[in-house]
Amino acid sequence: MIGFVLRRFGQLLPLLLLASIGIWAMIFAVPGGPIGMLVGENATPEAIAAAEKQFGLDRPAVVQYLDWLWNALQGNFGTSIHGREPVLHLIGQRLPATLHLAVAATIVSLVIGIPVAILSALKPGSWIDRVLSAWSALALGVPTFWLGILLILLFAVELHWLPSASGYVPIWEDPLAALCNLALPALTLGVYVSGILARFLRASLVGELRADYVRTARSKGLPERQVVGTHIMRNALLPFVTIVGLMMANFIGGAVVTEAVFTYPGLGRLLIQAISTRDYPLIQGCIVVILVLYIAINMAVDVLYAYIDPRIEYS
Amino acid sequence: MKLLRSTGSVLQRLLRSPGSALALLFLLGITLAAILADLLPLNPYAQKLVNALNGPSAANWFGTDEVGRDILARVVFGARTSLLTAAGAVAIAAVIGVPIGLVAGFFGGWRDATLMRFVDVLLALPAILFAMAMIAVLGRSQVAALIAVGITGIPSFARITRAQVLSLRRRDFVTAVEAFGGSSAYNMFRTILPNSWSPIFVQIVVLCSVAILLEAALSFLGVGVAPPTPSWGEMLRTGKSYLHEAPYYAVLPGIVLTLTILSFDVIGRSLAGILENRSEVATPAKAGGAP
Repeated sequence: MIGFVLRRFGQLLPLLLLASIGIWAMIFAVPGGPIGMLVGENATPEAIAAAEKQFGLDRPAVVQYLDWLWNALQGNFGTSIHGREPVLHLIGQRLPATLHLAVAATIVSLVIGIPVAILSALKPGSWIDRVLSAWSALALGVPTFWLGILLILLFAVELHWLPSASGYVPIWEDPLAALCNLALPALTLGVYVSGILARFLRASLVGELRADYVRTARSKGLPERQVVGTHIMRNALLPFVTIVGLMMANFIGGAVVTEAVFTYPGLGRLLIQAISTRDYPLIQGCIVVILVLYIAINMAVDVLYAYIDPRIEYS
Repeated sequence: MKLLRSTGSVLQRLLRSPGSALALLFLLGITLAAILADLLPLNPYAQKLVNALNGPSAANWFGTDEVGRDILARVVFGARTSLLTAAGAVAIAAVIGVPIGLVAGFFGGWRDATLMRFVDVLLALPAILFAMAMIAVLGRSQVAALIAVGITGIPSFARITRAQVLSLRRRDFVTAVEAFGGSSAYNMFRTILPNSWSPIFVQIVVLCSVAILLEAALSFLGVGVAPPTPSWGEMLRTGKSYLHEAPYYAVLPGIVLTLTILSFDVIGRSLAGILENRSEVATPAKAGGAP
């Protein structure tokens, strides 16, 4: 098992290196750096040169990259050019908010997606299957930013139940306020993902329902609840876990749009700010952290497999 | 002629399902409106401040925006932006992604490993982040949005084509062409590719919905097509600021956007059903039902 984790980690490094080189190259391909925005339009050439020297931007691109890499390997991602704060500190401030949203949205998607999938898989082709399949299609087709707007209209503008802009409140400090703030963004993201999960789990369940072991379980008189609950679900959950893992990993950086709708202070919005101000160290730091988390979650999913499916060996 | 006949039969089967027929009809209407927008009595740029944020009326069916422009006109011209961006993006994704999949699947070995690693790197970042980073490099414009959305679509074409090639690579008719001295390029483009069209075509339709969604999301974030060019995402972005005074502003363009995305999705899934049933014999790999 440890060997497997180490091997996966070994695969992660070249990917990270490639991505960081790609981002660095892309940033340097753009005319106009962060200094112009920092010192203002009327700055003298001397002031610009001084500012560039201060942030080390006067050196060749390759030297800057290698310097960044060397520091990054020691856990130092540099200082944000605009925030004038350590990049890791800025990311650390946003990460809890992003993780709160990711977990909440995953819970919402599972609570909606699993029952929808089971109900429609048990009677394929029936009216309930058709209604629920249409619902999955709707959940997938409605853009999250529009769904978010509709939810704000209903719950914030009309009913005044929930805030239209969501701040970050740690759940251990004030659970009620945290839930109120998380409810709309989590519902928006969760509904969308429940569509993917329901479609996927339904296909997986329909496949399992035809398997021989299900016929055996039924013919020996097991109640349907047990056939579905213990026999089928255990097998159908295997590919399902991958999808849930992928979705969670995607929430880390990919929830940008939902975060923007609710002005939620997550990692995605930090990255948008960084991109719009060309804050190189912050862009690099955000993307590396997002990638590391993305791959770490995928790795955790692989390890989780062993518990769900004892047939898998990490040799 | 044969192609025409088979297209006709697929269309007939598509029209048999009421859902796909409605979706086709809706897309036809939207496309026609986008093409003929200049001939319609609509002006998406005419401002009339006294009419700002008026609700839907006989003169302005969808109401007016914050500077008194007709929202319906902007939705119709926005369709042009959306459909053009989607078409361009899907073309870029297919033109780059399909050859990558062909070469990777056909030759295997180091070419496969190198090309698919490139595809993996593209897949590792969420599409929206990648597109935003691209736009940061290219500057904000419709062409930039088109290229950014197109590049995020490359992996799906590469993977689907590669899977298709792998299932056909060892088939007798491919080996026969090789035995008769057919070049690799001839085999890839003239033998394998014509037999791989079904899943690629389905992917084209599916990716249209993804591209429209992504373009709208970029505009919603304020990095897509620059105003005053009408764009659905941009309308939702501005409309969100007027939820109290003019809820229709964000709701109505959103309905059109959602229906367009849903229509592509419905047609894509119906096509997958129709084409995959028909090509089941030709592609045994798919019968295994990969996740």
